[in-house]
Amino acid sequence: MSASTRMSSRLAAWLPRIVVAPSLLVVIVTVYLFILWTGLISVTSSKFVPTYDFVGLEQYVRLWATPRWHTAVANLFIFSALFLALSTGLGLLMAILLDQNIRAEGALRAIYLYPMALSFIVTGTAWKWIMNPGLGIQRVVNDLGWTDFRFDWITDPQMAIYTVVVAGVWQSSGFAMAIFLAGLRGIDNSVIKAAQIEGATLPLIYRQIIIPMLRPAMLSVIVLLSYIAIKSFDLVLALTNGGPGTATELPSTFMFSATFRRNQMGVGAASAVMMLMTVAAIIIPYLYSELREKNNG
Amino acid sequence: MSKFIATVLAATMLVPVAARAEGEIEVLHHWVSQSEVDALNVIRKELEAKGFTWKDSAVGGMSGANAQQALRSRLTAGNPPGAMQFLGWEGVQWAEQGVVRDLNDLAKTGGWREALAPQLLPFVTSGDAFIAAPINMHRQNWVWANKKIFDDAGIAVPKSWAELIAAGKTLQEKGIVPVAMGDEPWQIGIIFDALLSDVNGPEFYQKTAIDLDPAALGSAEMVKVFDTLREVRGLVDNNFVGRDWAVATGMVINGEAAMQFMGDWAKGEFLAKGLKPNQDFYCFATPGQVTSFQYLIDSFGMFTVQDENVQNAQTALAETIMDPKVQKGFNLIKGSIPARSDVSVDDFDDCAKLGYQERAAAIEKGSMQGAMTHGFAAKPEFASVFSDVAAQFFVGNMSSEDAVKMLVSGIDNAR
Repeated sequence: MSASTRMSSRLAAWLPRIVVAPSLLVVIVTVYLFILWTGLISVTSSKFVPTYDFVGLEQYVRLWATPRWHTAVANLFIFSALFLALSTGLGLLMAILLDQNIRAEGALRAIYLYPMALSFIVTGTAWKWIMNPGLGIQRVVNDLGWTDFRFDWITDPQMAIYTVVVAGVWQSSGFAMAIFLAGLRGIDNSVIKAAQIEGATLPLIYRQIIIPMLRPAMLSVIVLLSYIAIKSFDLVLALTNGGPGTATELPSTFMFSATFRRNQMGVGAASAVMMLMTVAAIIIPYLYSELREKNNG
Repeated sequence: MSKFIATVLAATMLVPVAARAEGEIEVLHHWVSQSEVDALNVIRKELEAKGFTWKDSAVGGMSGANAQQALRSRLTAGNPPGAMQFLGWEGVQWAEQGVVRDLNDLAKTGGWREALAPQLLPFVTSGDAFIAAPINMHRQNWVWANKKIFDDAGIAVPKSWAELIAAGKTLQEKGIVPVAMGDEPWQIGIIFDALLSDVNGPEFYQKTAIDLDPAALGSAEMVKVFDTLREVRGLVDNNFVGRDWAVATGMVINGEAAMQFMGDWAKGEFLAKGLKPNQDFYCFATPGQVTSFQYLIDSFGMFTVQDENVQNAQTALAETIMDPKVQKGFNLIKGSIPARSDVSVDDFDDCAKLGYQERAAAIEKGSMQGAMTHGFAAKPEFASVFSDVAAQFFVGNMSSEDAVKMLVSGIDNAR
């Protein structure tokens, strides 16, 4: 083997690494280094600016003794669970109904899908007015003559988080519908015909055959919607701005205000680490099972 | 505080700042609305008349939190602006990090300490150093009222919270919203701050909002404050969620609502509609046995820089800000009153004059105190506990006793 070919083969072996290196470096610094730094800050007594002393888990104790943090965590679970369940359920229902060879299907599909084209800020602002008892639904129904009608969830600290769910579902269920509809179109008609010949009723066919066959579509919907749920704090900001009071606070808004507005950088870092651990608790088992399947296969 | 950070910041600032025009100073602030910019231009023009260049760096949004963030990154990058607008404890906290220029020489020659109310000094000095030049003073505890509504209902300006609440109930029966406000914690905080002092006297405000005395925080007087706050909640309509303060002011202006509790920035909304104080609208302090004056100030601090041209510009800017003539011109536009107590307010409107008189009286009686909601009493980590509890109490059904318990444990937790 001549020297030049050895050179070029070595270059070929190194080239991918060299090309990937800058982006890898950027990711390591901007993501993992700062995760480590945040973890470090969370065990210090940092307040206005970082201080590098060690106080153990004091900031975590402080964090979990803060009622606002409990509200934020509870809200995240209420919102994510309801948002996922309702968007998926409604999306599936709409997709099945639209799949019945109805007229003007294209137009209806577009109508249901369009909310997705709006940003959460627009959705939040519009629903803020729709749900305001003095401007929106309640006012309209009252003016129509039903004067006892009450729809003031947005002013009630116990119910306000559900208004966020309503706005989120309104925006995203059409999107779930579109994916399910594509899944439904991909199902072979002959399977359904065969079931009908066997005497299966339509609900049974849907329950036992079609919905199980939609599993891949279901997975995509859930993954995409979970991601929307986690990043949806702009919806909260526009719709309720964390209010009334602090009733619709989310962990992300808590972290921001603790770190940058309340001189509690340590508590903010601790809350960020808690969020990371929550995500990790979901992601790591998933990665683990994925990797194991690969090794087995 | 951290020596490490101070060293890093100090070291990075030694990097020579090249490519700066002679005598140019960059001013970082969060004033972006029209009247704020117009007011700022008074300082700017005066500075430019002295031959210096003003480089404007406005970072608006989040009541100054965005500008604070910008400052942090600028400081860590070793490129601090020449001057920065400070709110609350910010200036003092930066001074503790050793990055703020000491203006003591200027303060001595200019007699700044004598010209300012002694209550302001904790926010513009740090140890022996004079760290910021205050330009204006707002009062937080004003009530803005629609005069026609008051006159039609035969209501006089209330002298106590009991009278105010009774007047509110009368108005409510007539179908008028007594109090216009939004549900944002700071809007609720303005009422809470006022009640702390008005219900139990300025000493109680000192013990709770400033000294964080556990006994006072958990006392029966504190329960009384929350009880009164609950009564005020009864005067607010149910559509208050998500209402901006200026929208609430609009409700008072067009007669939908009778009163608003708001700082004197609300005055601008009335004046912009061509309304006159005491003819079309009332301005009066929140009522108490001892009338309190809960202030907030805007001040400008200078950062330590090596470039002499910038240093000269800093000196000129600080002197300009403390110039009585500039203070007058600035505050005529901004709607506040001069931070200096020795500037005459003869050309100001009636509300500003009333505020000026009540400030002088309040300094004597010890009832001139920093407004907690705007960061001029307890440090932010404690002030935010007050605002959390007051806001949750206001929008929900919590009992006053539970609120007090929550307040005491919250403050302990933040210590």
